Amino acid sequence: MAKIDRKFSKELKKYGAFDFTSCYNCGNCTAVCSLATKDEAFPRELVRLSALGVKEEIESSLKPWSCYYCGECSSLCPQSADPGELMMSLRRWLTARYDWTGLSGLLYKSVPVLVGAMLLMVAAVILFANYKQFNVKEIMHFGHLFEMYAIATVFLLILLPNILRMWYLTVIRPGKNPPFTKYFKSAGVLFLHMFTQKRTLGCDDNQRRWFEHFILVIGYLTLLMMTVLLGWMGTENIFVIVAGYLVSAIVFIVTADFVKERIKAKKELNRHSRLKKLSRHSRPSDWLFVIWLFLMGLTAFAVRLFVDLDIINNNLWIYLIHLTVLVQWALIIVPFGKWTHFMYRSFSMYFQSLITENNKGS
Amino acid sequence: MEKEKINLFFDAMVIGGGIAGGESALNLANNGYKVIIVEKDLSIGGKMIMLSKVFPTLDCSACITTPKVSEISRHNNITIFTESDVNSVVKMGERHFRAEITRRPRYVVAEDCTGCQKCEEACPVIVKDQYQYNLIGRKAAFIPFSIASPKIAAIDIENCTLCGACEKACPSNCIDFTQKALDYVIDIKSVVVATGFKLFDPLKIERYGFGKFKNVLTSMQMERQLAPTRPFNTILRPSDGKVPDKIAYVLCAGSRDDSEGNPICSQICCMYSIKQAQLLMGALPMADITIYYIDIRAFGKGYDEFYEQAKGMGVSFIKGKIGKITKGERGDLTLRYEDVSTGKIKEARHDMVVLSVGVLANDEAVPMFRSNTLLTDPLNYIRQEDPIISPAKTSIEGVFVSGTASGPMDIPDSILSAGAAASQATAYLKRIN
Repeated sequence: MAKIDRKFSKELKKYGAFDFTSCYNCGNCTAVCSLATKDEAFPRELVRLSALGVKEEIESSLKPWSCYYCGECSSLCPQSADPGELMMSLRRWLTARYDWTGLSGLLYKSVPVLVGAMLLMVAAVILFANYKQFNVKEIMHFGHLFEMYAIATVFLLILLPNILRMWYLTVIRPGKNPPFTKYFKSAGVLFLHMFTQKRTLGCDDNQRRWFEHFILVIGYLTLLMMTVLLGWMGTENIFVIVAGYLVSAIVFIVTADFVKERIKAKKELNRHSRLKKLSRHSRPSDWLFVIWLFLMGLTAFAVRLFVDLDIINNNLWIYLIHLTVLVQWALIIVPFGKWTHFMYRSFSMYFQSLITENNKGS
Repeated sequence: MEKEKINLFFDAMVIGGGIAGGESALNLANNGYKVIIVEKDLSIGGKMIMLSKVFPTLDCSACITTPKVSEISRHNNITIFTESDVNSVVKMGERHFRAEITRRPRYVVAEDCTGCQKCEEACPVIVKDQYQYNLIGRKAAFIPFSIASPKIAAIDIENCTLCGACEKACPSNCIDFTQKALDYVIDIKSVVVATGFKLFDPLKIERYGFGKFKNVLTSMQMERQLAPTRPFNTILRPSDGKVPDKIAYVLCAGSRDDSEGNPICSQICCMYSIKQAQLLMGALPMADITIYYIDIRAFGKGYDEFYEQAKGMGVSFIKGKIGKITKGERGDLTLRYEDVSTGKIKEARHDMVVLSVGVLANDEAVPMFRSNTLLTDPLNYIRQEDPIISPAKTSIEGVFVSGTASGPMDIPDSILSAGAAASQATAYLKRIN
């Protein structure tokens, strides 16, 4: 028997949810949602579970990851209960729940902690540069190694255990043990959604958003590959250099446009009703994601430009900025911030297909 | 040159000639006061005179309203101004208001018209009949509706082609295209505001497809189809004239909906929908009627029994607000909703959909008051200064509010409120100091 937890709604409001307890359960949000289906109905169910505070059921639900925040549920909600924002907050809460270190929750809830952590990274980079006596070559060499080690460490220590926790909470604990072979059969779903995010297309009139999203994912991964595997920053290979310029430019230009579109969409939503309070719900950590992605692309582009213009030796600061952005990205945003949503979403589709195929078999 | 204004004196002016205004006027008149009713429309009777039956007794609405209306019309102490607008009301002092009123021309000499309808037959112009809520047409020379009071013709000058056919056809020569608006200055001792309510315009809810899909009607259109003076003599769906056999009611269409700017309950939609469902069960015994609701609010005397009766008659009630209405085959409609009892998304096909539209404030009375401000509540209903103890009191002493001008209410509550307004106005008029 699930227990009602009245404190849960207070806890959730720290993650951004606003007025969801005013919901009167009319089901309008679910009925207007373009992603909800006959087999997978949301968001009202989650609003109800959240109001009651039935944590266990929320933890085992994959539905928050199926929502792409088209916003129709919120703009058409008769009670201005903002179900779209609730789903967003549940994703943040789940991120914190899956994270074994507990840092995600801390960074989501507290702006001072987040700012502190970011500043700590700045200090670390400066101290490190000082320790290396501002030697450009050595610092750049370290930066290259850092990327490789950071990726491996973050993946092994944080992301992998968290995915396993998610798997335990959503598949194993609810007792839906899919047969072993399904894990292989469904693997295609995982990669398809990880690379294409094609569910976003379900949101009405959202082709542009999806396309930009797609370009960003591909661009970001290519940039990562360029710098880590091909050593773009230091290479002499003209093909890699040009390709790197192209990819980094794509990343920062598309990100800027993406942010612009989102702000426009948000404004549109706010004009709709008295949901004017809405925009204050965007957590700083959500904006961090896009802003840092933008900075990554921009600084990487600038660094390589400085290298090619042969002025990098006198302008170490540009590389230090790039390194700071990189460190903050790799140690804060990727393991504990919004980056993980991209991963959890894909795994959610994967787990979902494991469970449904299992049900069909039985 | 300024036109000469006609000066008249009354004890009370009632703004609005619906059932609440009529009841207030009648009570005051029976107490011996001289009353003027100022009605903007061509007939008094308001919205109630258009209805089919009333809940929960299922009495015929017209049969209740018409005797009341004729009692009002024949009362020696009541003067009725139809097609008239109150331009301004100024408080001159204690128990003294001065109102300026314009009476628009009807282009028919009221005293001579016999209501024979010869002009209607002769008129070549056909426009939508607003008194049948656009279900059918009417002529430009017309009698508003069969039980209108006064039952005399009027010329719809905006659509009239001035062909003169009605003039030739009229046996009593009462059509007069030279009529002009008349201005009146009226001195009165008190004012009763009974301006009623407006219906929510369902065009605003695009996802319900009203105006786009012909078989999506408003509850008022269904009310007309069920009334004794109904246009088709049966229930027909507009797209092809088929007798519908699967009818859906969408409750809270424009009520309890913050996103549509009307967050409050309209208080009547649940009950009138249940009433219409029962009448439809009688009119179309083979039809399936489904009512989609958020909550059924059957709060008045005998209302819950009335709801149970509808369930007993076989009306289906499904908890879930309709999210979208889309077009199906052959004019049918698909309704998408979450069945809240099971948490599943469902789609249902219906051949006719009735939107149970909500009630909105009519704040037309507010700008009429010039010297003192007539305050309203946040949803533009006239503010009751003391809703519990003296419900008719407004922000201006000597101005009283009657019926739905102060908030959504059903007919019994409107009559009660009208009575309260009349007795409070009487107390004000009688007061010695």
